[in-house]
Amino acid sequence: MKCKLNLTSRGAHMLDAHAVAIGPHGMLAINIAMLSLIGWALWRAEQKMSSGSDLILLILLGAFAVSGRVLLDPIPNVQPVTVIVLLAGIHFGAPRAVALAAAVALCSNVLLGHGLWSLYQAVGWSAVGVAGAALSNRLYVDGRMAIGALAALAAVSAFAFDWIVSLSALHSLSSEVFLVYLMAGIPYDLLHAAGNVAFVAWLANPLSEIMTRHVALPAPMAVRDPVSSRV
Amino acid sequence: MSDSLKAMSLGLLILLLISFPTISTEWARMTAELIEEEDDPHYGLPDIWDGKQVVCIHFPQSEAPDGYEQGRKHIDFDGSEFMSDGGWNESGACIGGFSGHDSAWSLMNTAVNATDDSFALNTTQYTFGIMVNSIAGVDPSQMSGNFSGAYWSLYHNGALSMVGVTELELDSDSVITWRVDTW
Repeated sequence: MKCKLNLTSRGAHMLDAHAVAIGPHGMLAINIAMLSLIGWALWRAEQKMSSGSDLILLILLGAFAVSGRVLLDPIPNVQPVTVIVLLAGIHFGAPRAVALAAAVALCSNVLLGHGLWSLYQAVGWSAVGVAGAALSNRLYVDGRMAIGALAALAAVSAFAFDWIVSLSALHSLSSEVFLVYLMAGIPYDLLHAAGNVAFVAWLANPLSEIMTRHVALPAPMAVRDPVSSRV
Repeated sequence: MSDSLKAMSLGLLILLLISFPTISTEWARMTAELIEEEDDPHYGLPDIWDGKQVVCIHFPQSEAPDGYEQGRKHIDFDGSEFMSDGGWNESGACIGGFSGHDSAWSLMNTAVNATDDSFALNTTQYTFGIMVNSIAGVDPSQMSGNFSGAYWSLYHNGALSMVGVTELELDSDSVITWRVDTW
Protein backbone atom coordinates (compact mmCIF):
# COMPACT_ATOMS: atom_id res chain seq x y z
CA MET A 1 0.00 0.00 0.00
CA LYS A 2 2.83 2.32 0.92
CA CYS A 3 4.60 1.55 -2.35
CA LYS A 4 1.45 2.21 -4.32
CA LEU A 5 0.98 5.57 -2.64
CA ASN A 6 4.54 6.57 -3.50
CA LEU A 7 4.05 5.67 -7.13
CA THR A 8 0.83 7.62 -7.26
CA SER A 9 2.52 10.61 -5.73
CA ARG A 10 5.42 10.43 -8.19
CA GLY A 11 3.08 10.03 -11.14
CA ALA A 12 1.05 13.02 -10.10
CA HIS A 13 4.20 15.06 -9.64
CA MET A 14 5.30 14.36 -13.19
CA LEU A 15 1.99 15.67 -14.53
CA ASP A 16 1.63 18.76 -12.37
CA ALA A 17 2.92 22.30 -12.96
CA HIS A 18 6.42 21.40 -11.70
CA ALA A 19 7.02 19.65 -15.02
CA VAL A 20 6.27 22.82 -17.04
CA ALA A 21 9.45 24.56 -18.20
CA ILE A 22 9.12 28.36 -18.03
CA GLY A 23 11.77 30.61 -19.53
CA PRO A 24 13.06 33.78 -17.84
CA HIS A 25 10.60 36.01 -19.72
CA GLY A 26 7.70 33.78 -18.78
CA MET A 27 8.82 33.83 -15.16
CA LEU A 28 9.06 37.63 -15.23
CA ALA A 29 5.52 37.85 -16.66
CA ILE A 30 4.29 35.61 -13.83
CA ASN A 31 6.09 37.78 -11.27
CA ILE A 32 4.60 41.00 -12.67
CA ALA A 33 1.13 39.41 -12.63
CA MET A 34 1.66 38.36 -8.99
CA LEU A 35 2.88 41.84 -8.03
CA SER A 36 -0.18 43.37 -9.71
CA LEU A 37 -2.42 40.98 -7.76
CA ILE A 38 -0.69 41.84 -4.48
CA GLY A 39 -0.90 45.58 -5.25
CA TRP A 40 -4.59 45.34 -6.11
CA ALA A 41 -5.37 43.31 -2.97
CA LEU A 42 -3.48 45.75 -0.73
CA TRP A 43 -5.25 48.69 -2.39
CA ARG A 44 -8.64 47.04 -1.74
CA ALA A 45 -7.62 46.34 1.87
CA GLU A 46 -6.60 49.97 2.33
CA GLN A 47 -9.99 51.20 1.13
CA LYS A 48 -11.67 49.40 4.02
CA MET A 49 -9.37 50.91 6.62
CA SER A 50 -10.42 53.90 8.63
CA SER A 51 -8.49 57.13 8.09
CA GLY A 52 -5.44 57.64 10.26
CA SER A 53 -4.38 53.99 10.24
CA ASP A 54 -0.81 55.03 9.56
CA LEU A 55 0.94 52.08 11.16
CA ILE A 56 -1.20 49.51 9.38
CA LEU A 57 -0.61 51.37 6.11
CA LEU A 58 3.15 51.27 6.72
CA ILE A 59 2.89 47.49 7.10
CA LEU A 60 0.93 47.24 3.84
CA LEU A 61 3.48 49.45 2.08
CA GLY A 62 6.26 47.28 3.48
CA ALA A 63 4.53 44.14 2.17
CA PHE A 64 4.21 45.72 -1.28
CA ALA A 65 7.83 46.91 -1.24
CA VAL A 66 9.16 43.48 -0.22
CA SER A 67 6.98 41.75 -2.84
CA GLY A 68 8.08 44.25 -5.47
CA ARG A 69 11.75 43.81 -4.70
CA VAL A 70 11.57 40.01 -4.68
CA LEU A 71 9.32 39.62 -7.72
CA LEU A 72 11.19 42.17 -9.86
CA ASP A 73 14.53 40.65 -8.93
CA PRO A 74 15.03 39.25 -12.47
CA ILE A 75 15.24 42.87 -13.73
CA PRO A 76 18.60 44.25 -12.61
CA ASN A 77 18.24 47.08 -10.08
CA VAL A 78 14.62 47.91 -10.85
CA GLN A 79 12.40 47.73 -7.75
CA PRO A 80 9.87 49.99 -6.00
CA VAL A 81 11.51 50.16 -2.56
CA THR A 82 13.43 53.41 -3.07
CA VAL A 83 10.34 55.33 -4.21
CA ILE A 84 8.10 53.85 -1.49
CA VAL A 85 10.62 54.78 1.23
CA LEU A 86 10.97 58.26 -0.28
CA LEU A 87 7.18 58.76 -0.22
CA ALA A 88 7.03 57.38 3.33
CA GLY A 89 9.62 59.96 4.37
CA ILE A 90 7.60 62.76 2.79
CA HIS A 91 4.29 61.78 4.38
CA PHE A 92 5.18 59.99 7.60
CA GLY A 93 8.51 61.56 8.54
CA ALA A 94 12.03 60.28 8.97
CA PRO A 95 11.67 57.84 11.91
CA ARG A 96 8.91 55.79 10.27
CA ALA A 97 10.65 55.88 6.89
CA VAL A 98 13.83 54.57 8.51
CA ALA A 99 11.88 51.78 10.23
CA LEU A 100 10.20 50.89 6.94
CA ALA A 101 13.52 50.99 5.06
CA ALA A 102 15.32 48.70 7.50
CA ALA A 103 12.42 46.25 7.76
CA VAL A 104 12.06 46.02 3.96
CA ALA A 105 15.81 45.48 3.55
CA LEU A 106 15.81 42.70 6.14
CA CYS A 107 12.59 40.95 5.03
CA SER A 108 13.46 40.98 1.33
CA ASN A 109 17.00 39.81 2.02
CA VAL A 110 15.67 36.80 3.92
CA LEU A 111 14.57 35.64 0.46
CA LEU A 112 17.27 37.23 -1.70
CA GLY A 113 20.27 36.71 0.56
CA HIS A 114 21.12 38.25 3.91
CA GLY A 115 24.60 39.43 4.80
CA LEU A 116 26.80 42.41 5.47
CA TRP A 117 25.24 44.26 2.54
CA SER A 118 21.82 44.19 4.28
CA LEU A 119 23.06 46.77 6.78
CA TYR A 120 24.32 49.04 4.00
CA GLN A 121 21.02 48.65 2.13
CA ALA A 122 19.09 49.54 5.28
CA VAL A 123 21.29 52.61 5.76
CA GLY A 124 20.99 53.56 2.08
CA TRP A 125 17.20 53.37 2.00
CA SER A 126 17.01 55.09 5.38
CA ALA A 127 19.02 57.98 3.95
CA VAL A 128 16.53 58.18 1.07
CA GLY A 129 13.65 58.30 3.55
CA VAL A 130 15.36 60.98 5.61
CA ALA A 131 15.98 63.04 2.45
CA GLY A 132 12.27 62.73 1.60
CA ALA A 133 11.31 63.90 5.08
CA ALA A 134 13.76 66.81 4.97
CA LEU A 135 12.50 67.99 1.58
CA SER A 136 8.83 67.22 2.16
CA ASN A 137 7.85 70.91 2.08
CA ARG A 138 9.21 71.21 -1.45
CA LEU A 139 7.96 67.85 -2.69
CA TYR A 140 4.42 68.04 -1.32
CA VAL A 141 3.06 71.50 -2.03
CA ASP A 142 -0.55 72.61 -1.53
CA GLY A 143 -1.78 69.06 -1.11
CA ARG A 144 -0.16 67.86 -4.36
CA MET A 145 3.03 66.02 -5.15
CA ALA A 146 5.57 68.00 -7.15
CA ILE A 147 6.10 65.11 -9.54
CA GLY A 148 8.98 66.67 -11.48
CA ALA A 149 10.98 67.43 -8.35
CA LEU A 150 10.13 64.02 -6.89
CA ALA A 151 11.28 62.27 -10.08
CA ALA A 152 14.56 64.21 -9.96
CA LEU A 153 15.10 63.30 -6.30
CA ALA A 154 14.22 59.67 -7.00
CA ALA A 155 16.83 59.56 -9.77
CA VAL A 156 19.47 61.12 -7.50
CA SER A 157 18.44 58.73 -4.72
CA ALA A 158 19.17 55.77 -6.98
CA PHE A 159 22.81 56.82 -7.31
CA ALA A 160 23.07 57.75 -3.62
CA PHE A 161 21.61 54.42 -2.48
CA ASP A 162 23.79 52.38 -4.85
CA TRP A 163 26.94 54.19 -3.78
CA ILE A 164 26.13 53.77 -0.08
CA VAL A 165 25.60 50.03 -0.66
CA SER A 166 28.84 49.93 -2.68
CA LEU A 167 30.69 51.08 0.43
CA SER A 168 30.33 47.49 1.64
CA ALA A 169 32.90 46.56 -1.04
CA LEU A 170 35.52 48.44 0.98
CA HIS A 171 35.56 45.44 3.33
CA SER A 172 37.26 43.47 0.56
CA LEU A 173 38.60 46.08 -1.88
CA SER A 174 41.25 48.74 -1.50
CA SER A 175 40.21 52.37 -1.74
CA GLU A 176 42.12 52.72 -5.06
CA VAL A 177 40.06 49.96 -6.64
CA PHE A 178 36.86 51.29 -5.09
CA LEU A 179 36.52 54.17 -7.56
CA VAL A 180 36.84 51.72 -10.44
CA TYR A 181 34.22 49.56 -8.75
CA LEU A 182 31.86 52.55 -8.55
CA MET A 183 32.50 53.44 -12.18
CA ALA A 184 31.84 49.88 -13.30
CA GLY A 185 28.42 50.00 -11.61
CA ILE A 186 27.17 53.12 -13.39
CA PRO A 187 25.00 51.22 -15.94
CA TYR A 188 23.24 49.55 -12.98
CA ASP A 189 22.83 52.94 -11.27
CA LEU A 190 21.27 54.33 -14.45
CA LEU A 191 18.82 51.44 -14.57
CA HIS A 192 17.90 52.04 -10.92
CA ALA A 193 17.36 55.75 -11.65
CA ALA A 194 15.21 55.04 -14.72
CA GLY A 195 13.17 52.52 -12.74
CA ASN A 196 12.66 55.04 -9.92
CA VAL A 197 11.46 57.73 -12.35
CA ALA A 198 9.00 55.23 -13.85
CA PHE A 199 7.73 54.26 -10.38
CA VAL A 200 7.33 57.96 -9.49
CA ALA A 201 5.40 58.58 -12.71
CA TRP A 202 3.04 55.64 -12.17
CA LEU A 203 2.80 55.24 -8.40
CA ALA A 204 3.59 58.54 -6.70
CA ASN A 205 0.16 60.17 -7.05
CA PRO A 206 -1.99 57.16 -6.05
CA LEU A 207 0.34 56.19 -3.20
CA SER A 208 0.53 59.79 -2.04
CA GLU A 209 -3.29 60.04 -1.92
CA ILE A 210 -3.45 56.86 0.14
CA MET A 211 -0.69 58.03 2.50
CA THR A 212 -2.32 61.44 2.93
CA ARG A 213 -5.53 59.73 4.07
CA HIS A 214 -3.65 57.90 6.79
CA VAL A 215 -1.29 60.54 8.10
CA ALA A 216 -2.06 60.52 11.83
CA LEU A 217 -3.52 63.82 12.94
CA PRO A 218 -2.17 65.23 16.19
CA ALA A 219 -4.30 64.16 19.13
CA PRO A 220 -6.47 67.01 20.50
CA MET A 221 -4.97 68.52 23.65
CA ALA A 222 -6.94 69.83 26.62
CA VAL A 223 -6.50 73.57 27.02
CA ARG A 224 -6.74 75.10 30.43
CA ASP A 225 -9.14 78.01 30.43
CA PRO A 226 -7.66 80.67 32.70
CA VAL A 227 -10.76 82.87 32.41
CA SER A 228 -13.23 80.30 33.79
CA SER A 229 -11.18 79.78 36.93
CA ARG A 230 -11.60 83.43 37.78
CA VAL A 231 -15.34 83.41 37.60
CA MET B 1 3.37 66.56 -16.98
CA SER B 2 2.32 63.40 -15.19
CA ASP B 3 0.93 61.61 -18.27
CA SER B 4 3.85 62.54 -20.49
CA LEU B 5 6.26 61.47 -17.72
CA LYS B 6 4.50 58.10 -17.51
CA ALA B 7 5.01 57.40 -21.20
CA MET B 8 8.53 58.82 -21.32
CA SER B 9 9.77 57.04 -18.22
CA LEU B 10 8.33 53.70 -19.29
CA GLY B 11 9.77 54.10 -22.79
CA LEU B 12 13.19 55.03 -21.39
CA LEU B 13 13.14 52.12 -18.95
CA ILE B 14 12.22 49.60 -21.68
CA LEU B 15 14.90 51.05 -23.98
CA LEU B 16 17.50 50.81 -21.23
CA LEU B 17 16.49 47.25 -20.38
CA ILE B 18 16.70 46.14 -24.01
CA SER B 19 20.09 47.77 -24.54
CA PHE B 20 21.41 46.95 -21.07
CA PRO B 21 23.52 43.90 -22.04
CA THR B 22 25.28 45.96 -24.71
CA ILE B 23 25.66 49.02 -22.48
CA SER B 24 27.03 47.06 -19.54
CA THR B 25 29.47 45.07 -21.72
CA GLU B 26 30.79 48.18 -23.46
CA TRP B 27 31.00 50.08 -20.16
CA ALA B 28 32.87 47.21 -18.53
CA ARG B 29 35.36 47.24 -21.41
CA MET B 30 35.77 51.02 -21.12
CA THR B 31 36.38 50.91 -17.38
CA ALA B 32 38.50 47.74 -17.33
CA GLU B 33 41.82 47.83 -15.48
CA LEU B 34 44.81 45.54 -15.79
CA ILE B 35 45.38 43.05 -12.97
CA GLU B 36 48.47 44.07 -11.03
CA GLU B 37 49.12 41.07 -8.77
CA GLU B 38 52.19 39.41 -10.25
CA ASP B 39 51.44 36.00 -8.72
CA ASP B 40 48.02 35.93 -10.38
CA PRO B 41 47.90 33.90 -13.64
CA HIS B 42 45.78 36.78 -14.97
CA TYR B 43 48.56 39.29 -14.24
CA GLY B 44 48.55 42.05 -16.87
CA LEU B 45 45.15 41.03 -18.22
CA PRO B 46 41.93 43.09 -18.00
CA ASP B 47 39.99 42.54 -14.77
CA ILE B 48 36.78 41.80 -16.68
CA TRP B 49 38.39 38.47 -17.59
CA ASP B 50 38.89 37.56 -13.94
CA GLY B 51 37.53 34.03 -13.53
CA LYS B 52 37.39 33.51 -17.30
CA GLN B 53 39.58 31.59 -19.72
CA VAL B 54 42.14 33.42 -21.85
CA VAL B 55 44.47 32.61 -24.75
CA CYS B 56 47.60 34.77 -25.20
CA ILE B 57 49.78 34.65 -28.28
CA HIS B 58 53.17 36.32 -28.06
CA PHE B 59 55.15 36.83 -31.25
CA PRO B 60 58.84 37.59 -31.55
CA GLN B 61 58.77 41.35 -32.14
CA SER B 62 60.58 41.14 -35.49
CA GLU B 63 58.19 38.46 -36.75
CA ALA B 64 54.91 39.85 -35.42
CA PRO B 65 52.02 40.32 -37.88
CA ASP B 66 51.01 43.90 -38.76
CA GLY B 67 49.47 45.67 -35.80
CA TYR B 68 50.92 43.34 -33.20
CA GLU B 69 54.53 44.55 -33.15
CA GLN B 70 54.31 46.62 -29.97
CA GLY B 71 52.87 45.58 -26.61
CA ARG B 72 49.83 43.40 -26.16
CA LYS B 73 46.29 43.87 -27.46
CA HIS B 74 43.25 42.55 -25.63
CA ILE B 75 40.41 41.08 -27.67
CA ASP B 76 37.13 40.07 -26.03
CA PHE B 77 35.23 36.82 -26.64
CA ASP B 78 33.20 38.42 -29.45
CA GLY B 79 36.27 39.61 -31.36
CA SER B 80 36.10 43.22 -30.09
CA GLU B 81 39.53 44.71 -29.46
CA PHE B 82 38.95 46.93 -26.43
CA MET B 83 42.27 47.54 -24.75
CA SER B 84 45.97 47.47 -25.39
CA ASP B 85 48.93 47.42 -23.07
CA GLY B 86 51.79 49.23 -24.80
CA GLY B 87 54.04 48.71 -21.80
CA TRP B 88 53.88 44.92 -21.87
CA ASN B 89 57.31 43.46 -22.53
CA GLU B 90 56.09 41.03 -25.20
CA SER B 91 54.23 41.70 -28.44
CA GLY B 92 51.03 40.00 -29.44
CA ALA B 93 47.46 39.65 -28.28
CA CYS B 94 45.28 38.01 -25.69
CA ILE B 95 41.79 36.78 -26.53
CA GLY B 96 39.69 36.17 -23.44
CA GLY B 97 36.39 36.16 -21.63
CA PHE B 98 35.68 32.50 -22.42
CA SER B 99 34.23 29.88 -20.12
CA GLY B 100 33.33 26.21 -20.10
CA HIS B 101 36.28 24.85 -22.08
CA ASP B 102 37.72 21.66 -20.63
CA SER B 103 40.64 21.37 -23.05
CA ALA B 104 43.16 23.86 -24.36
CA TRP B 105 42.49 22.75 -27.92
CA SER B 106 38.79 23.59 -27.61
CA LEU B 107 39.61 27.01 -26.11
CA MET B 108 42.24 27.71 -28.75
CA ASN B 109 39.86 26.96 -31.63
CA THR B 110 37.14 29.12 -30.09
CA ALA B 111 39.60 32.01 -29.68
CA VAL B 112 40.78 31.66 -33.30
CA ASN B 113 37.18 31.63 -34.55
CA ALA B 114 36.30 34.67 -32.41
CA THR B 115 38.97 36.71 -34.17
CA ASP B 116 37.84 35.76 -37.68
CA ASP B 117 40.92 33.61 -38.17
CA SER B 118 43.33 36.54 -37.64
CA PHE B 119 45.32 34.01 -35.62
CA ALA B 120 44.73 31.05 -37.91
CA LEU B 121 46.58 27.88 -36.98
CA ASN B 122 48.61 25.59 -39.16
CA THR B 123 48.95 22.22 -37.48
CA THR B 124 50.24 18.73 -38.11
CA GLN B 125 48.58 15.67 -36.64
CA TYR B 126 51.03 13.18 -35.21
CA THR B 127 50.36 9.93 -33.38
CA PHE B 128 51.26 11.63 -30.10
CA GLY B 129 48.96 14.59 -30.76
CA ILE B 130 48.72 17.87 -32.65
CA MET B 131 51.76 20.02 -33.31
CA VAL B 132 51.22 23.74 -33.95
CA ASN B 133 53.44 24.81 -36.85
CA SER B 134 52.34 28.41 -37.22
CA ILE B 135 50.00 30.95 -35.67
CA ALA B 136 48.84 33.94 -37.74
CA GLY B 137 51.35 32.88 -40.37
CA VAL B 138 54.28 33.10 -37.95
CA ASP B 139 56.26 29.87 -38.40
CA PRO B 140 59.21 29.46 -35.99
CA SER B 141 60.78 26.79 -38.20
CA GLN B 142 61.43 29.53 -40.78
CA MET B 143 63.17 31.80 -38.29
CA SER B 144 66.90 32.20 -38.25
CA GLY B 145 69.21 33.61 -35.61
CA ASN B 146 71.59 32.65 -32.90
CA PHE B 147 69.80 29.40 -32.15
CA SER B 148 69.49 25.88 -33.53
CA GLY B 149 65.73 25.88 -33.88
CA ALA B 150 62.53 27.49 -32.72
CA TYR B 151 59.04 26.25 -32.01
CA TRP B 152 55.68 27.37 -30.58
CA SER B 153 55.60 26.34 -26.95
CA LEU B 154 52.55 26.22 -24.74
CA TYR B 155 52.29 27.64 -21.20
CA HIS B 156 49.45 27.07 -18.75
CA ASN B 157 48.96 29.70 -16.04
CA GLY B 158 52.51 30.90 -16.57
CA ALA B 159 54.21 27.48 -16.39
CA LEU B 160 55.46 25.47 -19.35
CA SER B 161 52.87 22.82 -20.17
CA MET B 162 54.12 19.24 -19.82
CA VAL B 163 51.45 17.95 -22.21
CA GLY B 164 50.32 18.96 -25.70
CA VAL B 165 47.45 21.31 -26.54
CA THR B 166 45.00 18.47 -27.09
CA GLU B 167 45.81 16.84 -23.76
CA LEU B 168 45.98 19.95 -21.60
CA GLU B 169 43.00 20.12 -19.23
CA LEU B 170 41.87 23.58 -18.18
CA ASP B 171 40.53 25.23 -15.06
CA SER B 172 37.60 27.63 -15.21
CA ASP B 173 40.03 30.59 -15.19
CA SER B 174 42.98 29.14 -17.08
CA VAL B 175 45.32 31.33 -19.09
CA ILE B 176 47.14 29.53 -21.89
CA THR B 177 50.02 31.32 -23.56
CA TRP B 178 51.80 30.60 -26.80
CA ARG B 179 55.30 31.98 -27.28
CA VAL B 180 58.23 31.06 -29.49
CA ASP B 181 60.99 29.22 -27.65
CA THR B 182 64.35 28.20 -29.09
CA TRP B 183 66.97 25.57 -28.56
